[in-house]
Amino acid sequence: MQAIKGFYGEFGGQFVPETLIPALDELEAAFNEFKNSEKHLLELDFYMNNYVGRPTPVYFAKNLSAKYGVNIYLKREDLLHTGAHKINNTIGQALLTRYMNKKRIIAETGAGQHGVATATAAALLNLACDIFMGTVDMARQRPNVFRMNLLGARVVPVASGSKTLKDAVNEALRDWSKTVRNTHYVFGSALGPHPFPTIVRQFQSIIGVETRRQILEQAGKLPDEIAACVGGGSNAIGIFDAFLNDKKVRLTGVEAGGLGLHTAKHAARLTPSPRARIGILHGSRSFVLQDSHGQIATTHSISAGLDYSGVGPQHSYLNQIKRVQYTLATDRQAIDAFSALCEYEGIIPALESSHAVAYALKRAPRMGQRQILIVNLSGRGDKDIFHVADYKGIAL
Amino acid sequence: MSRYDTTFANLKARGEIAFVPFAVAGDPDLTTSIDIFKTYIDNGADILEIGYPFSDPVADGPVNQRAAQRAIAAGLTHATFFKMVRALRAVSDIPIGLLLYANSVHFLGYRTFCRRAADAGVDSLLVADMPPEESDELLAAIKSTGLKSVFIVSELTPPKRAAYICSKISGFVYVVSRLGATGAQSRLPTQAARTLQRLQRITARPFVVGFGLSEPRHIAAVKFAGAQGAIVGSALVAQIEKNLSSKKAMLKTLGTMTGHYKHATR
Repeated sequence: MQAIKGFYGEFGGQFVPETLIPALDELEAAFNEFKNSEKHLLELDFYMNNYVGRPTPVYFAKNLSAKYGVNIYLKREDLLHTGAHKINNTIGQALLTRYMNKKRIIAETGAGQHGVATATAAALLNLACDIFMGTVDMARQRPNVFRMNLLGARVVPVASGSKTLKDAVNEALRDWSKTVRNTHYVFGSALGPHPFPTIVRQFQSIIGVETRRQILEQAGKLPDEIAACVGGGSNAIGIFDAFLNDKKVRLTGVEAGGLGLHTAKHAARLTPSPRARIGILHGSRSFVLQDSHGQIATTHSISAGLDYSGVGPQHSYLNQIKRVQYTLATDRQAIDAFSALCEYEGIIPALESSHAVAYALKRAPRMGQRQILIVNLSGRGDKDIFHVADYKGIAL
Repeated sequence: MSRYDTTFANLKARGEIAFVPFAVAGDPDLTTSIDIFKTYIDNGADILEIGYPFSDPVADGPVNQRAAQRAIAAGLTHATFFKMVRALRAVSDIPIGLLLYANSVHFLGYRTFCRRAADAGVDSLLVADMPPEESDELLAAIKSTGLKSVFIVSELTPPKRAAYICSKISGFVYVVSRLGATGAQSRLPTQAARTLQRLQRITARPFVVGFGLSEPRHIAAVKFAGAQGAIVGSALVAQIEKNLSSKKAMLKTLGTMTGHYKHATR
């Protein structure tokens, strides 16, 4: 799939300052050794099985299925330690850090989920850890700031730019460019310069590998469709990867529609709109939301994890070759799906994952009764209850 | 001969190196920004380094990032930017180099951007987040429009890679005097001298040292280390920020500083 180093078709690359190139070269070489080393993969498996909580179930959501007349299955990444799929990647990259003999990891975080997962991996593997977080996000996500502190990480406030996720990425890149000798940057999504999109996909691809095996065991056939939410796109690429060659399995990525495409308040990069153009942000060429002068646009979503102007380069490619179709769910639709999953299945989903659930509920009436739709439930919603209450006008 | 060739040859004949002041285009507004660059020129700048403001400048420190935000907020666009370069070209013949981010070039298309830049009187392009590996299309556009290419070499760049980078340079070698983002510092690391010595064996292109120079003695050190030019950015931009309330005081300070820096190149 990768014709030129680090490219998916015309997307990807290494658009970084020169000072980072040696670090990326070192990382690529180390990763190639790591992923072929049985010893290190066994260690990764050990932590995945005994610490993170893998494998996660694929659960037949029988109440929802009965109501919507289709077979909806949920891949339960929400059951993982720290509450989301992020930990698959952070443990993997923390082991990679140790393999490179580096003693410190840094990461960006928006809502704090990736920050918590990184801080967790750092505590587990005795690494120093600094998490960059926008001051706006810190105010919105105080519990996660405290969690990171409890885990021994330092949270570095980022007060530049829009003071949110993309500025945290900028600041982490700046830190990394002066600390590359002893520091690894744990990118949180399938984003950034090569080899990060590949590394993150590799560590998240366990989701799809398990799902494929589990659905074959339970249903005796492959699913008709798989849906996952797409922020940077790591949970989506993680579940899609094992099915990319199964041409009959329809793959759907769900972006944050925010207040709707007719407004400027959304984070839909792959759904056509005047602001969604091919651009270069945070190390790779991909679809990026931009204003009419080529400055990066700010985005909106009720879900912090989907609230980002760029998208992983492989998603831009899969969109272009039409292997994956991308659509969106609005804030309102995500909230409705959140409530539906709570009421029908007793599962409080993350608002990010609720976007994929929202799509599934829209899609179900158009599917046959025997058809199977799997939703990647990438995280749990404990972190979101205050937002949902706020949205519903309820004071907690 | 290009403007760079002429400038470096003249400086060499006089036993000087180039003083290269930097500011972000459109900071704090278009008119003042033009006056800032004119002040640089009037007080001895040999080359101008103009930053094109970008919302997410990962190679810049907080001072230059705030400058970019001011410029964007004041409405700088590609159109007003090229107009500004024309205004400067109308009053001076010194080389003008652009320092910008990939998305700002990509947005217009590499060929269109380079053609408009060359037409306006720009001499070189340095795209901070576009290493030579990603630059084939840009380099073709640079060449066909008569612009010069500039790339960064740092102390971490391995010798083989430094040679590769230098082979892609038609302007000057931008030597980063320390790791990390732009920003003034009070001590100049000795690595810069070592990096320069290493590079002299690789290429005959001029070396211009940047990132972190803030005092005239840094420039003297850079000259002593064998560079042909010294860039001062954040230290000047910080004065723009400090004097936002008085344009007169701002220009006066920038003029005086430029004079002191230039003096250190002699």
